Amino acid sequence: MSRRRVLALFRRVVAEIRRDRPSLALLFIAPIVITGLVTFILRESQAPQVTAVVVNLAGQRGELVGTALGTALREGGATISDVADEPTAIAAIVAGTASIGIVIGTDATAGGGLTITAITNGLDPSGEASQVAAVGRAMLQAAGSASGATVPAVRHATVYGAPSDDPVTTFAPAIVGFFAYFFVYVLTGVSFLRERTGGTLERLMATPVTRGEVVAGYTLGFGLFATIQVAVLMLWTLGSLHIPALGPLPSFSIGLGVAVNGSPMLAFVVVVLLAVGAVSLGIFLSTFARTELQVIQFIPIVLAPQFLLSGVLFPVSNLPSILQPLVAIMPLNYAVDGLRQVFIRGADLGVPALQLDLVVLGIVAAFFATIAALTIRRDVV
Amino acid sequence: MALQVEVPLEAAGSTPAIRAHDLVKSFGALRAVDGVTFDLAAGRIYGILGPNGSGKTTVIRLLTGLTRPSSGWAEVLGTRMPSRSNLSRIGYMTQADGVYAALTVAENLRFFGATYGVEGDEPVAHALEVVDLADRRSSIVGTLSGGQRRRLSLACALVHRPPILFLDEPTVGVDPLLRVQFWSHFRALADAGTTIVVSSHVMDEADRCDELLFVRSGTVIARGTGQEIRAQAGTPDLEQAFVRLGSAVEATR
Repeated sequence: MSRRRVLALFRRVVAEIRRDRPSLALLFIAPIVITGLVTFILRESQAPQVTAVVVNLAGQRGELVGTALGTALREGGATISDVADEPTAIAAIVAGTASIGIVIGTDATAGGGLTITAITNGLDPSGEASQVAAVGRAMLQAAGSASGATVPAVRHATVYGAPSDDPVTTFAPAIVGFFAYFFVYVLTGVSFLRERTGGTLERLMATPVTRGEVVAGYTLGFGLFATIQVAVLMLWTLGSLHIPALGPLPSFSIGLGVAVNGSPMLAFVVVVLLAVGAVSLGIFLSTFARTELQVIQFIPIVLAPQFLLSGVLFPVSNLPSILQPLVAIMPLNYAVDGLRQVFIRGADLGVPALQLDLVVLGIVAAFFATIAALTIRRDVV
Repeated sequence: MALQVEVPLEAAGSTPAIRAHDLVKSFGALRAVDGVTFDLAAGRIYGILGPNGSGKTTVIRLLTGLTRPSSGWAEVLGTRMPSRSNLSRIGYMTQADGVYAALTVAENLRFFGATYGVEGDEPVAHALEVVDLADRRSSIVGTLSGGQRRRLSLACALVHRPPILFLDEPTVGVDPLLRVQFWSHFRALADAGTTIVVSSHVMDEADRCDELLFVRSGTVIARGTGQEIRAQAGTPDLEQAFVRLGSAVEATR
């Protein structure tokens, strides 16, 4: 491998991206906007507003339960009203004047025991689940105050971090990893496809440049921008620059201010290793694309599974067991885990879990670099 | 590290600069190049002429080592192709422009120069002078006209001053005035000792070559100067000669 030729390729790739303003914007501004938005949503989302209509079909006993439940719900900020029967309650939910219906009835099969049915409209499962959960909590509280006994509260403690921590803390590592992967893949894929279709690869292969040198030059060039992107994104995620109030402007802060317990440099190494793998993946997949549109079309096939199976959105441990082998081969999974190890656990290089993440990311990067080099065939038609 | 092999000067003189021996290239059932044999001498301009799809580009790709022959062999300056180290002595102007649109003219030349191991500003300035693009050296290639881009493409092929130059349809999309300029460049390079192989399907360019090879269905059906071929076919122009020689070959099959 000739250092001069690799350097020439590196310089060329850098010059090309530098002149491509929209891509630069994509690289730096898009992740900042999206992480900012996600953080805002996670931190500022409101507690569910419960507007309940209560139907009592259990006479005297139901009246008592209904009153206790109503009191507990009102303490939680809910609005309660009584209605005569179930159809009226459903009509209120359909009309949008109630978010949940609570039907207190008797169950003949259970020897006349009381049952409580919560009715929601079923269009927003996760939002409605939090409504039902609020009713459950109020029920527990009502039962406690009715019996005069103290209901033991469950406290949650964690080994690393604290359960009451900012939700962004667990989300930030995932999103930093994903963005590095996504943008590097798209930019390399499209740029290498241009190389193939524009005839420059044909010409390049007629020079003494080797395939390994091409991969090395691309990796260095896109790696540089990925590194800068990750640095900017990390500063934005971890930093918090407080701007004091000035005249009519209120004070505000720039940056998400996510707490990191480990070394930011180590987190940086994890993401750079991931990005190097993404450069080679882009080169490799551009072999199978004829147009730039097709590079984009690979995203659902290649990136969506990684997004779904790497703990970005759904916790890996909750995924069905049949998907676990797939989880084990997703490069992004190791990066997200590695970043969480560093961010939350404060892991250093002595932690075996982080060692595994780094080794796997290194192997993945080397593997894709090799197959990328092999697919830059001399027989380009 | 690429090995730079110095070839004794007499190799360019006495032995042929380019040799092809029974070259065959098949793509599945299709024999794109079907048993081509020739020796080409140094310092001359050879025209490979034939219709689209006759195998001209594949012959050039075999000679540059961009593709491996199914059988037979090709030699450039005494070295069997494909040979990576030999590529620094070959210039190749592809049919597509093959230049980077986001870079400037000079950046393109510097880049391709570097891939050949040629550094510094002198080779860039020289190549620009040859194709008469010196005034556009800082222009972004995307802003150039088609003809200017074609000139840059040629400059990129000769930035390292190779003794061998392959030009695949260099004058496609080039206006008549620029075409005349291109041919005077080619002649000047050949006079300085460069061996040039030009592919074309434009017969009126053929007479500017020292020697012609007519290619049809992957085989060389005639070779000689324009005059010799006209005489052989008994026709007043090369176009008719090509048709007549082609049908003669078909008849003997």
